[in-house]
Amino acid sequence: MRRWQLALAAAGFMLSLLLPLVVRSDYHLQVLFRIYLFAALGLAWNLVGGYAGQLSLGHAAYFGAGAYGLALFTRAGVPLWAALVMLMGLAMLFALLIGGVSFRLRGPYFALATIAFAEVLHAAAKNLPSVTGGDVGVPVPALFHTNVNRSFYLCAVLLTAAATAATVVISRSRFGYYLMAIREDQDTALSVGVNAARTKLYALLVSAAFTALAGALYGSLFLFIVPDQVLSIDISNEIAIVAMLGGAGTLAGPMVGAVVLESASEIFKTIFQEAHLLIYGLLLIIVVLFLPEGIMGGIEAILRRRKRQES
Amino acid sequence: MNLLEVEHVTKRFGGLVAANDVTFSIRESEIGFIVGPNGAGKTTLFNLISGVLHPDSGTIRYQGRDISRIAPNEAARLGIGRTFQVVKPLPNLTVLENVMLGAFLRTSSRAKAAEESRGVLRYLQMERIADSHASGLPLPMLKRLEIARALATKPQLILLDEVMSGLSTAEALALAETLKKLPEWGISAVGGVEHVMQVVMSIADRVVVLDHGTVIAEGTAKEVVHEPRVIEAYLGSKYKELGL
Repeated sequence: MRRWQLALAAAGFMLSLLLPLVVRSDYHLQVLFRIYLFAALGLAWNLVGGYAGQLSLGHAAYFGAGAYGLALFTRAGVPLWAALVMLMGLAMLFALLIGGVSFRLRGPYFALATIAFAEVLHAAAKNLPSVTGGDVGVPVPALFHTNVNRSFYLCAVLLTAAATAATVVISRSRFGYYLMAIREDQDTALSVGVNAARTKLYALLVSAAFTALAGALYGSLFLFIVPDQVLSIDISNEIAIVAMLGGAGTLAGPMVGAVVLESASEIFKTIFQEAHLLIYGLLLIIVVLFLPEGIMGGIEAILRRRKRQES
Repeated sequence: MNLLEVEHVTKRFGGLVAANDVTFSIRESEIGFIVGPNGAGKTTLFNLISGVLHPDSGTIRYQGRDISRIAPNEAARLGIGRTFQVVKPLPNLTVLENVMLGAFLRTSSRAKAAEESRGVLRYLQMERIADSHASGLPLPMLKRLEIARALATKPQLILLDEVMSGLSTAEALALAETLKKLPEWGISAVGGVEHVMQVVMSIADRVVVLDHGTVIAEGTAKEVVHEPRVIEAYLGSKYKELGL
């Protein structure tokens, strides 16, 4: 990452923070909130799924831990700030359970474990009404009482900025190198002394903490959550797709993916109503066929090829 | 003093005995070579020493310590570096960044890792291509990159699995000249080769000849080439006439 790229990213976030001065409609602010929320989620997913190359299809587990954590901890009388810390801790505990076991194995076990774990949580939330309210749901405390949409939007921007900063720091550190080495070739990584299982686990812990914060933010905006809304496999898929569409393992990928996917799905929803899911699927197929490395991955490949031709 | 001691090591894959009661040792600052045709069990031995595989029976000692059951990353930490027969660079990183991956074992600082890696690249005469992408490098450079990454971990013992294969004799000899300097820095090496005996003769302090997982000769390069079984099996009559 060069200095001008860093400056560009900083300028982008400054403009994003000023955007509510221009955009005042609640609807537009909500769409923008969703874009930034999923950018942050995509960035969090990217640490594990992109840089470390470990496919997670169960990030709803951490997202749900955030949303339900905020609801249940505050209901139990925990102050808000402590609840935010605890819900990150809960998500990290889930990450520890999933990664601690499956990262020792090679092959698709991690991906399978993520789906299974998220689905178990989903079923548990539905079937434990005394704790989670079951299918009826549970109220989530409001984080903001005035300028609600603007405040949530700004929170999502800050979360995305934090996730971006974390990604920049990690990708330039030894830890980041180790993640990429594991993705490219685990045997090589082991041969230079990398403890692959532990390195992957650390990435998953960071990823889970960010995802939980996003989940808490999301739950608080709706004031009321049900299991299908925050723990379903659709959430897991959407998080993974945002990152893959934009370009897994690239810094700008999740942001680009969130802008494209969330605005496309908004447009499709108004034009095609229920058929928008079909369009969504078609978009995915096109990306997989023509841009297997995502939008940013595709652009990078073209730039690299051009650079090589010049030299 | 012996740095590495392989004692009665046996490894089976189903019915195939890839290492059969293998015993040999490597001293400090010594260059050893394991010679044997394709399928003789050289890579299996390297995998056993570097912790990728574990022996069914027998022990492997490194600096007097039993390392038969350690994980590959622990072996690297103890000072056992290795290259892979099938070269495995990280394609989207530059040559320097690939080498830094090794240097990160002993330092977490990017600047320090880069500086040390440049030193390793200089030693292997690769400074010129330090900033090129690893993908698209010619094979001789990829082989050197494998060695550079392993050397950057600051090993006391480096396992060179088929670093000569695919190289021309001139390239192999040039690489051998470079590797000759390793003992000066207190690094021992164990290479594995199929043929290129000329190279082995020029740099090996000790040669172990392997056939179907069994050691059929061990000693200095000169001793080994006088062994009738070795001459017959690997070198042919040509070397016999040379009277080495």
